[in-house]
Amino acid sequence: MNEIATVLDRAGILTPEQREHWKMAWLSTVDHKRIGILYMVTGLVFFVFGGIEALLIRLQLAVPNNTLLHPDTYNMVFTMHGTTMIFLVAMPVLFGLANYIVPLQIGARDMAFPRLNAFSFWLVPFGGILLHFSFLAGGAPAVGWFAYAPLSETPYSSQPGVDYWALSLLVLGIGSVGANINFIATVLCSRAPHMTLRRLPLFSWMIFVNAFLVILALPVLNAGLVMLLIDRLLNTHFFLVPGGSAIMWQHIFWAFGHPEVYIVAIPAFAILSEIIPVFSRKPIFGYEFVAGSTVAIAFLSLGVWAHHMFTTGLGHTVDLFFVASSMLIAIPTGVKVLNWSATMIGGRLRFDTPMLFCVAALVQFLVAGLTGVSHASAALDWQTKNSYYLVAHFHFVFVGLIVFTILGALHYWIPKMSGRMLSERLGKWSFWLMVVGFNMTFIIQHFLGLAGMPRRVYTYADLPGWAWMNMVSTIGAFFMAAASLLFVWNLIVSLLHGRKAGDNPWKAWTLEWATTSPPPHENFHNLPPIRSRRPLWDVANPDRPDPVVGSRGDIDQFRPERNKTSIVAFIISETGFFTVLILAFLYYNATPQPGPNPHELDLFKTGLFSVCLFASSFTIWRAETGLRHNNQRRMIGWLSATIVLGGIFIGGQGLEYWHLFKSGVGVNSNLFATTFFTLTGFHGLHVCVGLIALFVLLGLALAGDSKKRPWPGLDAIGLYWHFVDVVWVVVLSVVYILPRIR
Amino acid sequence: MSTEQFLFSAWTWNPVVLIAAGIGLAVYLFAFRAERRIGWFLLALAVFLLTLVSPINSLADGYLFSAHMLQHIVLLLIVPGLLLLSLPRSLSLSWRPRILARPLTGWIAGVGAMWFWHWPTLCNAAVTWRSVYALQTISLLVLGTLFWGQIIAPRDEERLSPPGAVLYLFSACVACSSLGIILTFSPVTVCSIYTMPVSDRLGMWETIRTGWRFTAEKDQQIGGLLMWVPMCFIYLGAIFAQIARWFGEAPAARPVTQQT
Repeated sequence: MNEIATVLDRAGILTPEQREHWKMAWLSTVDHKRIGILYMVTGLVFFVFGGIEALLIRLQLAVPNNTLLHPDTYNMVFTMHGTTMIFLVAMPVLFGLANYIVPLQIGARDMAFPRLNAFSFWLVPFGGILLHFSFLAGGAPAVGWFAYAPLSETPYSSQPGVDYWALSLLVLGIGSVGANINFIATVLCSRAPHMTLRRLPLFSWMIFVNAFLVILALPVLNAGLVMLLIDRLLNTHFFLVPGGSAIMWQHIFWAFGHPEVYIVAIPAFAILSEIIPVFSRKPIFGYEFVAGSTVAIAFLSLGVWAHHMFTTGLGHTVDLFFVASSMLIAIPTGVKVLNWSATMIGGRLRFDTPMLFCVAALVQFLVAGLTGVSHASAALDWQTKNSYYLVAHFHFVFVGLIVFTILGALHYWIPKMSGRMLSERLGKWSFWLMVVGFNMTFIIQHFLGLAGMPRRVYTYADLPGWAWMNMVSTIGAFFMAAASLLFVWNLIVSLLHGRKAGDNPWKAWTLEWATTSPPPHENFHNLPPIRSRRPLWDVANPDRPDPVVGSRGDIDQFRPERNKTSIVAFIISETGFFTVLILAFLYYNATPQPGPNPHELDLFKTGLFSVCLFASSFTIWRAETGLRHNNQRRMIGWLSATIVLGGIFIGGQGLEYWHLFKSGVGVNSNLFATTFFTLTGFHGLHVCVGLIALFVLLGLALAGDSKKRPWPGLDAIGLYWHFVDVVWVVVLSVVYILPRIR
Repeated sequence: MSTEQFLFSAWTWNPVVLIAAGIGLAVYLFAFRAERRIGWFLLALAVFLLTLVSPINSLADGYLFSAHMLQHIVLLLIVPGLLLLSLPRSLSLSWRPRILARPLTGWIAGVGAMWFWHWPTLCNAAVTWRSVYALQTISLLVLGTLFWGQIIAPRDEERLSPPGAVLYLFSACVACSSLGIILTFSPVTVCSIYTMPVSDRLGMWETIRTGWRFTAEKDQQIGGLLMWVPMCFIYLGAIFAQIARWFGEAPAARPVTQQT
């Protein structure tokens, strides 16, 4: 640890005073730059874990009928490799990068919510430790990163590994949502004065768009994880017979899982869109198309998850629709590839290490895209889905595109973070090792797959051709490991002895290069004028500046209040969570089941309590009006009334639960009871959270806090409270009313 | 009846529809003359007639839920959209009552029309009674116009701003897709009248069930999928148009190669 500290010290990231207390300086920081670095270092640590697991997998598969790893151990290693690489490496590193770069690129002082930022980060190590603790607690999960039911259910995985897996993913999911709400609020509310939305650098734009994808997709997984945990810990059967459906898990998982691919790919696209123009010495070709196609990809990705499930027997009809829609995704992605290529055409290309990684990523991503489109065809998918062909495909995406762009980005931006250049010589060595190793490992897996080698197997028979192909693949993996080690070596050596970078070593054009390297705590002392998408080009070339990107007035200048913005983003996210739970309720209760049923619920009493909850929406609105008219007493009165009404509702819910429990209805009685308690329970939890927030507000108001300054908290909590009420309108109709009138 | 016979003979030349189309054309010509935008209007009229006169209508009338869904989507999302596009850009909608000018009203109109008419009782009633069916058709056109009015009102300043429009369309897409997902995977029949035909007016059951191999389950599934996937793509298409609008005013000409 001390070595790392010394290295970072040398790099000048800490001030002399902070150096005295370097541990606290890192542990307690709320500075986006340090949090960004913490994210990346955490990602790097887990990359070592995931990498070792990958090497173990490849060693086990190097020769046929190998006995190096026990089958169970193999399953654990392979589950942990997938989970670690996606949730603990790709996402943290990309979020960390965005954390560091986005505020600088938009000329902000910090993220919109520095403390939320620190909280979101610290959930990553927490989740990671939780996941790895399972090794000590009786065995890591051994169910694949997708944890298909029913294998992931208690009867088939009785070890607590899956519980740790689900809990840690829940923790990480909450962290991701928090981080991305923060990105949205930062880009919308903290931009420098003339940084209009249409002047955003592509990197920031794409992180902004991606943030919406994250807050929409992660809650879907969270809902599924909650259901899985309830299944495992409370003996219910969401995903188990009788009544439950294993396919339901796949739907939920892939409704998250497909967008997840883009959640890590869009930041990679963002990096490409930033680096390729700089090293081609040209502005990006077709900014509007690159920016627009990102939005297209984000939306399309949310609606096509069923193509991951062609082999589950959804039926010809369903397959047909998703074959067609999945193929459409190739269009916006193709647009991007063409734009990047066109940016390079006619440019003065400079092949420094960052550009080398990006060009390789571009080519490899093209291959990944082509094999990806081939999977969109259901008939072909049936043949290749469970083979190494698919393994090769998604590693071309995750390694070929994402890891390569991350490495490119690190070579590009580390000089900004540390003030010192990485060594070009070592960088080129690690690049070539990486390219050779990567392609050796994964190109051949396409052929292995087409030759019939199934994925997820711990060993294989000595079939013609399989042995040498697997051996080639394993050797390639070690090339990649060597490349990674070389990169880390490069990092350490360069941080200690690297050439000074100066403010703008690459002669790039976005605002992060307008400040010192590393940037001061407050990021900028003064900003250059921002009239186009490349402010530093305009500064360097005053005689031929970029065309001014006009402002469309209000929309471009849109700068909402940050508390409200974050709550709106949070509401969007929670809508996703409740949508899944409500759809699950409808699905599982489509046909009446033996045991307790909706007719046993007391509609009259619940109706009364619901009226209280709905009335509280009115009272909080009155409280807001009171605040606006600066009438403290009225505001406090209405706020208290809201708390009382909310309390009555929760009390009523408790009463209903009590009656149900007394009559012997528990969460595991039947699927109606399970879905009922899950849905109303989570709604109740949200009411309780709202009540806590209201109590905090009331306490602050009583202490006179609301008199002093603008008090945006009430409006924001009010929005949340209305949302909780709207959810209850839907829950009330779906759970209590619908079954009665059908 | 075989498929060919059906395709040739199952046209419902409903005089009300034809007269309505004729009046619509006359009104358009009278009000706006035959300017360039009449193309949109003729297209809207053609789509409108095709949905209500062609064999799709015969199928939707008691035979196939999926045909009904196709009709539903076209009448709610395509015809009103084309109609709004056919209006001259100078036409102001400021005469709308304030309640109709609100985005929330438009959103509820568009999404509500989907959910409301697929309530099992109403869905069956629309097939059983001509009057309910007529009401449904008219309401879809009206609600669809309310929905699209927020996005493609003739005047730019009466439309939602692009970011707002994206949110509006995307949330509508999610709300409709949810229903589509329910219909696709629902183990129970939503619109039971399509599974148990009251009468086989055209003698088509044989062809549909054995010739086209449309079972009742498959029929509902296709209906749900139509709502889930292609319908969502209409919204997505509109979202892409909004993005194009958002970036549309950017300067067109810029230097191709610049060197430092």
